[in-house]
This record gives sequence, C-alpha cells and structure tokens, in this order.
Amino acid sequence: MTIKSGYFRKHLAVDLTTGEAERRDLSEEFLQRYIGGRGFGAKIVWDNLVRRRFQVDPLGPENLLVIAPGPLTGTYVPSSSKTSFVAISPATGIYGDSSMGGTFGIELRQTGIDALSITGVAPELSFLFLDNGETSVVPMPELAGKTSLEAEGMIKNRLGTHQVAVATIGVGGENRVRFACVNADWSRNAGRTGVGAILGSKNIKAVVVRGNRDLPVHDIQGLMAESNRAYAYMKGHKFFKLWQNEGLMNVMRYANEIGILPTHNFKDGTFARVGMIDGETMLQGYKIGDSACFACSMCCGNICLVKQGKHVGVVTEGPEYESCAMLGSNLGVDDFSVVLAANRLCDEYGIDTISTGNLIGAVIEGYERGILSLDDLDGQAIAWGHGDAVLELIRKIAHREGIGDVLADGSRRVVATWPEMEKVVLAVKGLEQSAYDSRAASSMALAYATSDIGAHHTRAWTIAREVEQGQQWSAEEKVDLVIYHQTLRPLFDMLGVCRLPWIELGLNERHYENFYRYVTGKKATLEELLALSNDVYNLTRLINARLGVTRADDTMPYKVHSCPVQTGPHAGKTIDKDEFNKLLALYYAKRGWDENGVPPRELEATFSDA
Amino acid sequence: MAKMLAVIPESCSGCRLCELVCAIHHFGVNNPKKSAIRVLVTYPQPVVRMPIVCSQCKVPVCAEACPVGALRRSDGVVHLDEKTCVACMKCVSACPFGAIYAHEDARTPIKCDLCGGSPQCVRACPKNALMLIPEEALGEAKRMNNVLSYTHMKEIEFMEEGEKKTIHYAEIGKEEL
Repeated sequence: MTIKSGYFRKHLAVDLTTGEAERRDLSEEFLQRYIGGRGFGAKIVWDNLVRRRFQVDPLGPENLLVIAPGPLTGTYVPSSSKTSFVAISPATGIYGDSSMGGTFGIELRQTGIDALSITGVAPELSFLFLDNGETSVVPMPELAGKTSLEAEGMIKNRLGTHQVAVATIGVGGENRVRFACVNADWSRNAGRTGVGAILGSKNIKAVVVRGNRDLPVHDIQGLMAESNRAYAYMKGHKFFKLWQNEGLMNVMRYANEIGILPTHNFKDGTFARVGMIDGETMLQGYKIGDSACFACSMCCGNICLVKQGKHVGVVTEGPEYESCAMLGSNLGVDDFSVVLAANRLCDEYGIDTISTGNLIGAVIEGYERGILSLDDLDGQAIAWGHGDAVLELIRKIAHREGIGDVLADGSRRVVATWPEMEKVVLAVKGLEQSAYDSRAASSMALAYATSDIGAHHTRAWTIAREVEQGQQWSAEEKVDLVIYHQTLRPLFDMLGVCRLPWIELGLNERHYENFYRYVTGKKATLEELLALSNDVYNLTRLINARLGVTRADDTMPYKVHSCPVQTGPHAGKTIDKDEFNKLLALYYAKRGWDENGVPPRELEATFSDA
Repeated sequence: MAKMLAVIPESCSGCRLCELVCAIHHFGVNNPKKSAIRVLVTYPQPVVRMPIVCSQCKVPVCAEACPVGALRRSDGVVHLDEKTCVACMKCVSACPFGAIYAHEDARTPIKCDLCGGSPQCVRACPKNALMLIPEEALGEAKRMNNVLSYTHMKEIEFMEEGEKKTIHYAEIGKEEL
C-alpha cells in the first residue's frame, strides 16, 4: 500500500553557516514509517547524531532543530494545529521535543514542505523567511533584546504584511535560557526542552512563513464526512461548553479536588485559596474572549484582562492549567492578576511557564528551609505568594541577572550550585516536572521517569485515571496504561493533531485511522499506526541511550520518595522505592528493553538510512 | 425573504474553520487561503478576532468599480459572473471591508455567494459567531442588551422601616415573596 497524498515529500534543510537551503526529497519509506511531526524529527535528529558520532553540543552550531507538522496538520480534522519542534535539548542534553498549536504549522506546510531543519549559526541576529518556495536569512540586528511580541510586530512591519505566521524567541531564547520557548500567535508556545535557546544559539530570532499552497488530501469528501462526525460528537459532549468557556482552567478545580494540584513547590496536594485562581474566578472577573488554535471547536484558550489593581491593563492569552498551577498555587500565589502578569512576562520573554514556576517554587522553599541565603537571592527575600518577587525573578531569569543566571540553566545547575537543593527540586533528566503531583499515583511517577524528554506529562498522563479508578490496579495494569499512553499520545504529535479531543472529550481514537486514510490514501489500522509510534519511542530511547541515559536516569526526585504530601486526600503518601523499581523493571521487560533500559542494539540498524 | 450573514466578532475564537469549509465547498481543496471569508486576528493591542466576509451591500461598491458589469446584485446576493469577469481585481481593492479575496491559482476574485442560501461557514462555526438571519432581525440582540443594561442602571428609591433604600429596576420582582 503506497502513500497517494498527504505530503509534499519535501524536507527543507537550512544550513545557516553556509547560507544554503536545500529541498530534499523524502522517500516513500520515510513517509510511511515516521508519519510526520515528532516521527520525522526523531529520525532526522538521529541521522545527524550518527553523522556526528553522537558528539553534539545542544547549543552548538552542529545541533539540528527540526520543525515538523504532520500530514493532518491544517486539514479539516478537529484540532489539527500541531507542529513539533525536535532537537537535542539544552535542558537535558538528550532527545527533546515540544509541540505548538496555533497557526504556524499550517502556514509552514502551505509553503510546500513537510519538515524544516535548521543547523549552523547565522553570522548576525536574523530571521529565517520561508516565502512559499523561497528561503532567505534576513539580518535584522535591531531585534536584539526585543520581546516576542515586539519582534513579531517589527518583522511584520519590515515585510509590510500581517499575513505571515511568525514564530519568535524572546530575550530568554537570545540569552540561551535552557528552558526558553518558541512563541507564535501571541501565546502558543513550543514550551518545553528549551527549543527557544537553540534558535538563540543559531542567531535566529524568528522563523517567518508565508504559504499559499493547497494541502494535499487524498479524499476530501471522505475527510469532511468523517471529521463532521467527530465535530458532532464533540459538540454533543456534556463538557464541551465547559471547555469552550473555561478551557484548561477548569482543571484547577479538578486537580485540587482530587488532591494533585502542585502547591508550595509540591509540598501540598491542595491549595486552600484555589477559588481565587480557578476557572470561575477567571470567568467572573477577567475573561474577555475565547481563543482557539486552527480548526479547533473546543477553543481552550482564554483571553484575560486585568481590570483593576496593580497590574491593571495586563492582557494575556492564557493562562492554561499548567501555567496557572505552576505560577499560581505552586508559588502560593492567590492573586489571579499576578498569575496573568507572570504568564504574560513569560510569554514576552519566551521562557517556559512550567520550568519557571517549578524553579521559583524551589527557590522559595530553599530560602524558607535555609538552604539559600539572602545573599544567594541577591538580597531580595522571597516567600510564598509574594507576587512582586516572583515577577522580579522571572525578569532576572530571562536576563540572566544574579540568581537568575543560575536558574536560567535549569535544575541541574541549581543542584550543582547548592547540593542541598537536590531535596527540593523536582526534575527528571534535567527537565523540571510539570503540574501533576505523582505521589498520588505510582503510574504517573513511572510516566515521568520514563518519558523520553524528562518529567513532562505529554507522553503519558495516567494520573486522573489511577486516582479515580486505579486504587486496586496491579503493577501490570499500571505499566500497560503508561505504555499505551506513551504510544498513543506521541502518535497525535506524529499526525500533527491535538490530543485534547481524545483525552478530554473521549473522541474515539479509531477516528484517527480513518483521518489518516482519507488524507494519505494509505489504509492503516490504529494498531499499525501505534506500532509505528512505538518504533519512534524505541528510536528516541536509542538516542538517549547513546547519549548516556541508563536506568539511573529513569528515577524520580528525592521529594517523591521521601517527602509525604502534606494536605488533601493523598496526605501522607509517597512513592515507595521498591514498588517503583518493580514497576520500572516490568516496564523495561514489557518494552523489550534490557534491565538497564536499553533497547536491543540491533534495532539501531533498522533506523539507518533506507 | 433575503437573509443576511451576520458576524459577531465578540464570539469568534479565531479557529478559522469557516475559512476551511468555504475553500473546500467552493474549490474542493484544503486551503484556507482560497476562501471568501477570513478571520483577521490582532493582538495584544487591540485584541480582535474579526471574520471578514462580504456583506452583500445594497449599494455594492465592488459592482460600481467593475468595468465590465460582472458583479450584480439579485435576491440579496451580489453575484460574480465568472464568464464576464476579466480578473482585473478592481473589486478587491474597491471593497471598503477588504472582503473580496484573490489567490494566484484562482482566475477570478474569490467572493462570498452565501452558498446558494445555506452558507457552510455558518454551519461549521463552533461559536455561533456567524449567523444567517433575516434583515429585520439585525441588531435585535443589541437592542435587548441595551434594555437590560438600562434597567441595571435605573434605580428607584423606597422607604423600608423608616430607612431610605434604592433598588435597581432589574432587581424588582427577584426577591422571594
């Protein structure tokens, strides 16, 4: 069965050092096997690593950043907006990826390519411009020090059009903050694993795209009919209106109820004043509009305005749950206007809200416990709920001032600078943990520990199911669920669609085999697609193994095993180390990896170039 | 009776499904750049998501600008006769709203024809930001909102146990009896 449509079969490889842009053909086998998005990225990154004998400095010119939408990106499929950014991560030093919604990926595809890879370094600060078939690197040194939005405005003025999609980095990326994001459409970020720092290291302030081409679809009428069934299902779901109104902010209340809301640097599982920073508060006092990614009926984005008080006039798209939890309850902040101001600052500076909130939480706890002195904090004390101090720290991180310089290098440098902080910081493989407290569910701990990019929930998010239904689950059931999530969720990133219709509204995953068939003309069952996604998981694990990851890195931070949750329904809980190790051993066995977590080396050959 | 395509920008989320279905319906291709409706998004100052589509004006400036008479209004729709059209794109520039579009692949300008009476964009909009309504109904929602906000502003004074109190019109009748 061959692929009849769905791709331009082109990979644009840009070398900034030589200034060359080469349009390479993508082979039939490549398209069939890696599907798109993260799949394309992992393979292209792997090839680069092999070529360079696995000697790649994440912030060096040799690191290759792949920006790849999927075959469904920009089509009529619900929530088809996703684009993956894949590279060796400056945060972790291993495989890293992050995806972005909005409209950037659609415009990128419409230039007539399936993937863009960027390597080398530009001689001066520039933006990369893909104008339909033409590629240019445009020097624009005056972009230095500008925020994401300022830069976007300046570039649009320079080009004399607003009809371009612009993905920018802020000051954070320019300063190589190791968790800097790439930002587009105001506040759609490829937030994690520091992809923004990579663009910064390449002297690229923005990637600007303009495309007019038709997106190839094999059977557009079939795709319409199948998608319309999915849209109708979503619209009829009892939570559809809730998602339109509150978006991800509804999770604040839910996470608090089930006791997994990160509070006071994951000390507590519930936040007493959650009602001041939840979705209802947002609706009553702040929300002024909805915001959706391309082709998404759920419109989970919120546009919020601060109407009174110190931060009056701050307008931001967001926050969503992660940002609100990490910059709100995790820091003891109970003033929603502070959360909005912090969210806006992070977007403008282009730094990840999750890592930022996580690290500031660690600083507050470290200071509280006397690990950090007032000197370490540059003489500025900080405590739970101190809005001004939080905003100041965000500024210092982005500009690498004082303690901000240490924080900007992430959890590893924090622990290297103050070894005692190891008991405070929550990170796996150097990536700071996202906003779900895994002590409530051991499957979530396993998910964080075995995620190929570090402690992020994107690969597997099993916590809600285990807390609600899984108290009696066997180890096998937990491991199976984690592996199923780690296989299905990355498939969405390969296809270029958002996973929320599935995970939040229960849209049947069988739809996606049909979507894939209508777009590409190739018949494949969900199981076949999942097998391909599993292949890519093996590939990213091989990359990580080659870069030094072993079982010793698939571990959870000190706090998860040794500091019980203080409040809420899970008070007193930790993750038992023996239980965790059993889960991990079973996980390796089920994946077919050895006891050190290394996939069979002969697999490597199967990923060599066809 | 002629119906109008009403746009409610306050409800628009910017998802651009309207663009997609329009292009698929008229051209059979998945390309939002080939639609007769586009969502213009501005941020952060001002924050606007504005679907821009032909208003089927009763005084069609586009038709006045057309040198060959290819644009003509009938049954509430300004039709573009593609056979007559010489693709000079004068109408695209003339439209005061910029609601006629051009694309390099399309010979003639891309202009809304209300899909023969059942616009696909209205069907696809998940936020009801686009509605097909009779001309008489235009402004109805605004009128009702206006009345409601008036009653919220308006107060009357009354005495209760020797104390002077006020109540909003809108609150009258709400208290339990």
